[in-house]
Amino acid sequence: MPETVNIIKGCIAGNRRDQELLYRRHAPRLYAVCLQYSDNDEEARDILQDGFIKIFENLINFKNEGSFEGWMRRIIVNTALEKYRSRHNLYRVDDIDLIPEPDADPDNEDYSGLEAIDLLNIIRELPPKYRMVFNLYAIEGYAHKEISRMMKISEGTSKSNLSRARLILQKKVSLYTGMNKKVVNG
Amino acid sequence: MVEKKANIDLLFRKGLDDLEILPPVGTWNNIYPVIRKRQKPYMLLRSAALIAVLISISFLAYKWSREISTSLQNSFIVRDEESTRTRIDNFNPVIIRQEAVVFNPAESHVRTTVPGIPEPEAVTARESNQEIIVVPVSANSYPGFNLAGHADNNMIRIADYQPVKDYSEPYGVIEVIPGNPAGNGKARWSLSAIASPSYYLKSVYGTDDISGQINSYEKPRMSYSGGIGFAYKINDRLSVQSGLFYTSVGQEIENIYSYAGFRPYDNTKNHHNFEVLTSGGMIYTDNRDVFLLDNGGERVITKFTNDVFDPAKASLLYLNNTLHQAFSYLEMPLILRYKLIDKDLDFNLIGGFSYNMLINNSVYTYVNGSKYQVGETEGLNPLMVSSSLGMGLEYNLSRKISLNLEPTFRYYLNPFSQTQAVKTHPYSFGLFSGLSYRF
Repeated sequence: MPETVNIIKGCIAGNRRDQELLYRRHAPRLYAVCLQYSDNDEEARDILQDGFIKIFENLINFKNEGSFEGWMRRIIVNTALEKYRSRHNLYRVDDIDLIPEPDADPDNEDYSGLEAIDLLNIIRELPPKYRMVFNLYAIEGYAHKEISRMMKISEGTSKSNLSRARLILQKKVSLYTGMNKKVVNG
Repeated sequence: MVEKKANIDLLFRKGLDDLEILPPVGTWNNIYPVIRKRQKPYMLLRSAALIAVLISISFLAYKWSREISTSLQNSFIVRDEESTRTRIDNFNPVIIRQEAVVFNPAESHVRTTVPGIPEPEAVTARESNQEIIVVPVSANSYPGFNLAGHADNNMIRIADYQPVKDYSEPYGVIEVIPGNPAGNGKARWSLSAIASPSYYLKSVYGTDDISGQINSYEKPRMSYSGGIGFAYKINDRLSVQSGLFYTSVGQEIENIYSYAGFRPYDNTKNHHNFEVLTSGGMIYTDNRDVFLLDNGGERVITKFTNDVFDPAKASLLYLNNTLHQAFSYLEMPLILRYKLIDKDLDFNLIGGFSYNMLINNSVYTYVNGSKYQVGETEGLNPLMVSSSLGMGLEYNLSRKISLNLEPTFRYYLNPFSQTQAVKTHPYSFGLFSGLSYRF
């Protein structure tokens, strides 16, 4: 199997086989990231396509410093962010008051029944603004200051969106695990 | 509370860490055409860069030529007798630069009668400058100089008196040139020996997988061209050139693994066991001892495929993973040369066509530095026509000999090979250099 370095060289040279090989090798992982940031499958596919085009265009700038997978993931996340920015005026942020407090204590919850795909579905149910902040903070590890700059919001808004996202997620996780228990018991 | 929040973050971070989901079928097919489309402007950028380089070099050559010309015009400075006497102690009134001047090598002494002024050294002859005004030489035509000893048909030009830096007195600029300034009897023919390393590139037409494989695994090897040319000067600016040149071009084809020791397994009656599709045409092996394998590609066509024959199990001797494709051409150019700047350093524009006859083609690989014959390329065009465009810098070492430097871009008008699957148009950049002798 060709080494990643050789594939990258081939991609830079415009070799279609290497480009396709790179795509086949990394697309499943990156598509999951796209789904994590998108409302629907079509939007996720758009992000993946645009992201891979940027990856191929910018491969020549990849300096072999750090993880190649991480570098690709950052491009995909930035593409998702651009997509979000272009649409964010269309989104309405749910009012936090309408979201009830979670009944369960997350520390005592048993999450063992939750599959990765369940977590993905839960995260995709979040309102876009909350989902974006939660993804950037909790999954990608950005600080609120960075998120505020990336999303063009204040740090306070970022923090509040994160807090609201967590509340919703806790509630939904509890519902999921509760439903699973019922199914198992029932 | 913070820990609880971190808990939910951790749950999602870890839970989603290794999640993989196959993208919808056809996603890749939407990506690839966009990549291809966006890659095309590079070709335009390269062309633009080439043009920019040519213009820049032309401009520099023009400026350099102007500077040399100015230096020549100021090189033969004479002070009139009266002022010479007054400043004789701190000024050498006759300044001749050897490369600057004059005429008949045998009679190239200019003698002065100015007391105390050293006699100028003999100087090398150079071709007359058509732009200067000339007057007949006579012993009295210029005060302070005894031009006796020069033939009557020699001419002297006395330029306008101009003040020279640091001196208030006027000084003259004179230039002595051979007689017959209209140029009758000038050398019209020239013979030149030139050679050039060339870098060949190619544009491959074809969008299928095999075209992609061919394009990505072929690299041009350093090529060269050299020969004898002759030129006829139609007028002062225009000349036509032809000659006979030998050109060697080729390319390296990577990721084709070659092995030796196949002869015992060769049970075919065909004249070749392997065909390799390249942009330069189809390679047919004529060495029955060689076994070829395309590593992961589909460029090798053979009945001895991986599932039929394994070179490792048969203990064949691995040779190399690169094939070398070499072509030799005999080239007959027809080139027009237009002189844009006519100074000691001439600047020419060059353009024309060349007919290239294929005289040799071979395919080989290297084993421990020695060539190992593999076969030859079929389907090559026996006659190629190429167009050339370039510029020529010509530095006159003497009246008869000049040094040439000619950066040239060449584009082949007809495809390299007649293979239908892939069509290639090679083009090259060369830097021709050599000497010309005028007669």
